[in-house]
Amino acid sequence: MADAIALIDANNFYASCEQALDPSLLGRPVVVLSNNDGCVVSRSSEARQLGIAMGKPYFQIAAQLARHGVVVRSSNYALYGDMSQRLMSCLEPHVAELEVYSIDEAFARLPRPRHSDLNRWASALRSRIRHNLGLPIAIGLAPSKVLAKLANHVAKADSHHAGVFDLGCCGDPSPWLERTPVEEIWGVGRQLSRWCRLRGIANARQLRDMASGELRAKAGVVGVRLQLELQGMSCLPLEEAPAAKRETCVSRSFSRPISDEAELRQAVASYVVRAAEKLRRQGQRAGRITVFARTSPFAPGFYSQAASMGLPLASNDTAVLLQAALRLVPGLYRPHKRFAKAGVLLQELQPEQQLQHHLLAPLTAEQQRRREALMQQIDGLNRRYGRGCVQWGACGLDPAWAMRRERLSRAATTRFSDLPTAWAR
Amino acid sequence: MAESSPRCLSGDDLLLLGNLRPEHRPLRLPLAGASVAAGFPSPADDYIEVGLDLNELLIRHPSSTFFLRVSGDSMQGAGIQHGDLLVVDRSLEARPGLIVVAVLDGAFTLKRLARHRGRLRLEAANSAYPPLELHRCGDVQIWGVAVHVIHPLARHG
Repeated sequence: MADAIALIDANNFYASCEQALDPSLLGRPVVVLSNNDGCVVSRSSEARQLGIAMGKPYFQIAAQLARHGVVVRSSNYALYGDMSQRLMSCLEPHVAELEVYSIDEAFARLPRPRHSDLNRWASALRSRIRHNLGLPIAIGLAPSKVLAKLANHVAKADSHHAGVFDLGCCGDPSPWLERTPVEEIWGVGRQLSRWCRLRGIANARQLRDMASGELRAKAGVVGVRLQLELQGMSCLPLEEAPAAKRETCVSRSFSRPISDEAELRQAVASYVVRAAEKLRRQGQRAGRITVFARTSPFAPGFYSQAASMGLPLASNDTAVLLQAALRLVPGLYRPHKRFAKAGVLLQELQPEQQLQHHLLAPLTAEQQRRREALMQQIDGLNRRYGRGCVQWGACGLDPAWAMRRERLSRAATTRFSDLPTAWAR
Repeated sequence: MAESSPRCLSGDDLLLLGNLRPEHRPLRLPLAGASVAAGFPSPADDYIEVGLDLNELLIRHPSSTFFLRVSGDSMQGAGIQHGDLLVVDRSLEARPGLIVVAVLDGAFTLKRLARHRGRLRLEAANSAYPPLELHRCGDVQIWGVAVHVIHPLARHG
């Protein structure tokens, strides 16, 4: 019998993480806000039941939230990242193959037993994750990735499925496909769904059954694969090792607009520091650096500019990248513009070990080695004592433009100073 | 603290750092004396392969193990003092006799799970605190099982 594909994801992941480590939040409505405390990006089931909408700007619904006694949190990426790793390593021993697809979802492959569905297996895994991590998850099972994603939707949408749905073992899946609008199929973009709608193809069943030649003419091999997946033939393999990143980007909106060049320099510098740290963690060096800045697209006189330069020698040394980035900032800056966002893009990434020593290299091999050791020490200190423990002067101290995270919970699983309290009283 | 906001360093911060170990490497301690003053090599040298890793000893299930900080004196009798570090494994089943972290009135509470006259209750390890009969308190959830307590005896350095 063919293998089954599962799509496993956590419900309301950010809000669930907050509840998992803070017992005062259990059973209470919780929402988590996006960067800069902008919009609601995650709602606990209790908050959902109160009718709090997703994506609403916080300032618009602050009064409503307060009235209902909703607990509001800023995004705590240290906590969510750690809980994500725990979730994935809890799942891993229970499946044959696992592809971590995002911070809160994974595809898995596992053998399908003859003459039986996987509902019992999935329910047991679901209670185990709930018990061991305090996270609610949903599991959709099917013969292909596209159908597994669809089954996962069904598992979550219908409460009587209790978070588990096996589409591969319920006879004809057509009724379920019929209930899925074409826009909601995994891998169908806006363009393809519009094209489908124009042809009267409104749901997944119709897409599955349409003439494949027509689909191939429109969407090529991608479209054909999509259709085969909907027919229950697995064409999209699981990717166990994530592809090496070709770019890394750090960008943020400011808590208030910046008009001062010195402040813009500080902001860009602090994103470079962050991006360089990411690069070293990924074991990569960048051959090119691009910085960009823009004003608010909602304000009159919108302005957006990017500047880029190649590095003579690929690097992940913060000092080298800072120097390059700060040389680019004057090209972005315009007086009297109110900048709302800036970012840094590191490109042409290559593995660390690939670097050949260059005749024109500014540093000797020994100097190079010492620089690398210094970066390692800085990363280690920041990891251990909290980001910002060792800072680069170019970033400024306590800048006023820094991201707003006024309702941040503690780094309860990653910092000794932030551990939850066990009361012995 | 905001992720991207740098913090002003003061002299106090620098003092706090003390011993630093920049990387999250398991701490390996050699099992036998590899350094011999002079002459013959130690016959034990051939056997030195593994070190000791405290993580391995204290953490059986890394993904479901959490650290908590103890506050209060109600578990003194069980050797758990105020300020101790508690290693809690959420994957273990709570059984009578084990020390558990329970969720009581929205807070983590440390007690020993016990069976008394056929009924489960949560007991302190300090006679100043009365036991809690589970059937009398409404909603009590056992969050995890305490597996180790780490109690410092001297300050480092």
